[in-house]
Amino acid sequence: MASSVFWKSWIRIGSDLVVVPPYNRFSWRCCCYRTARWYKQPNCLAATGNNKINFCAKPSWVTSLSNDIWWGNSDSRRCCGSNVNGSTNGNYKSDYLRISDEELMSQCEMDTFKASGPGGQHRNKRESAVRLKHTPTGIIAQAVEDRSQHKNRASALSRLRTLIALKVRNPVELDAYVPPQELLQILPASSTLRGSRSGPQIGPNNPKYVLGLQALLDLIFAVNGSIKDAAVMLGLSTGALSRLILSDDSLRMAVNEFRASKSMKPLK
Amino acid sequence: MATSVGSKFLDLDNGPDSTLLHRELNWLIQDSLGEGEPATLSCAASASSSGSTSSKKVVKLRTCLDDLYRLWKERIEDRRPFQYLVGCEHWRDLVLSVEEGVLIPRPETELIVDFVEDVLAENYGDGLKEGLWADLGTGSGALAIAIGRILGCNGRVIATDLSPVAVAVTEYNVKRYCLQDKVKVKQGSWFEPLEESEVELGGIVSNPPYIPSDNIAGLQAEVSKHEPILALDGGANGMKDLLHLCNGAASMLRPGGFFAFETNGEQQSQFLAGYMESELGGRLVDIKIESDLAGIPRFVKGFKAR
Repeated sequence: MASSVFWKSWIRIGSDLVVVPPYNRFSWRCCCYRTARWYKQPNCLAATGNNKINFCAKPSWVTSLSNDIWWGNSDSRRCCGSNVNGSTNGNYKSDYLRISDEELMSQCEMDTFKASGPGGQHRNKRESAVRLKHTPTGIIAQAVEDRSQHKNRASALSRLRTLIALKVRNPVELDAYVPPQELLQILPASSTLRGSRSGPQIGPNNPKYVLGLQALLDLIFAVNGSIKDAAVMLGLSTGALSRLILSDDSLRMAVNEFRASKSMKPLK
Repeated sequence: MATSVGSKFLDLDNGPDSTLLHRELNWLIQDSLGEGEPATLSCAASASSSGSTSSKKVVKLRTCLDDLYRLWKERIEDRRPFQYLVGCEHWRDLVLSVEEGVLIPRPETELIVDFVEDVLAENYGDGLKEGLWADLGTGSGALAIAIGRILGCNGRVIATDLSPVAVAVTEYNVKRYCLQDKVKVKQGSWFEPLEESEVELGGIVSNPPYIPSDNIAGLQAEVSKHEPILALDGGANGMKDLLHLCNGAASMLRPGGFFAFETNGEQQSQFLAGYMESELGGRLVDIKIESDLAGIPRFVKGFKAR
């Protein structure tokens, strides 16, 4: 251990502190995909190019959002000239965000990037990257930046939840709309609808944030991308809602891609 | 330095290419930052050879740049494994101290702990959670520590290893995780250090040496030049120790006890499973082969008959 000049590092890292290494421009070319068809699927949303990922906070790994929105109900509404494979878009419950990690994992296929050669004791190559494919939706989340397979799996699962929030849409009844509690929780205090029960505003690091994120996108899709209309429904000024959307990169991208599909100007 | 390697090592012996070396360089810089430095320092220096960073901010390093440079040179020129440079390996939710003389725990082996977790969840009433477990050939203590953390308050783990270095490193790691009361470390070959009172085991796990002797020379330099051959070489067909463990499991496990062993892959897994079924007279049951996440049939697990 005398040679271990850095062994102390585990004190910092071992204390459940989320450590997020900044890997820029990590090349995926070195990774072969075990199941090449996933790679080719249009709704394969690869978590690539990690830059300062703060788990759910700023997913620059979200590369594309609008081309494959899933509708979480049996009516076959689509949007954005969706290229979702129609055969898989049927009756299913889309409460993926409310189920436990274990249940969500049970809906996923998990693998690593194919190791060339026999692996195990033969190799020292840190192939601990993990990819999860959520079978019901085909959404893929992966994590590579951590050194252990176990942590990459946790990161991939957390990313999967964000991707589901961004991509799985539930229909909204606009007449007599009442925002769900999860949505109220992510709104700023200036919302007139926030009662004392809503508690302090929660941000992307809170596990419940994704539920609010999903509900907010559901609403914005229901009002055809109009921030003004959505703001009214949420008891907010248009400016306050815009600021909320712009504060989260993945949310901003999702909203702007949807608006672009409706020939609306992007939020800036 | 890392960039100049290109795919040279990859072509030579399936070693790391530039991309992987750049990732390691980022980790090296990350580990060398002083306490309290942000973990998300932008490391645009990945393509350069020393530990300099692109930000203008002054950062505190735990070690001087000359040392970092020397270490990185060892990585490239001697193919010294990254984990030995920094003295630790991240494995599951653990960070384990490692050094020359101890096998660096592999990501594949993480799955054995998942198997144990599943068994403990299913067999709670069976007392395995409060039973005595053995991690034979523990190396850095990875399996013993991970299992020690998921057992109940009366559950204990005995970790054995023939290598005194491995025993010292395991003891150190056990202490770091404050598991001295739970994980006992003993020097000796496989089952030998177990005392008479410890022959009714609730579970046995092991990642024994399983590489056929002939293959050792062809391994990537990081492994063949630096890692302990004792932890790699499994004899002529790689099965010497695995067979010993199977026979031991058949006699040392208590009825209903669980075992999981890592193997070289499909051939060994199938042979072992077949051996248990045909040669051990039904003493081991529910024998299953499990694949690692790359799809290689890597593990054999099962139970002692009741």
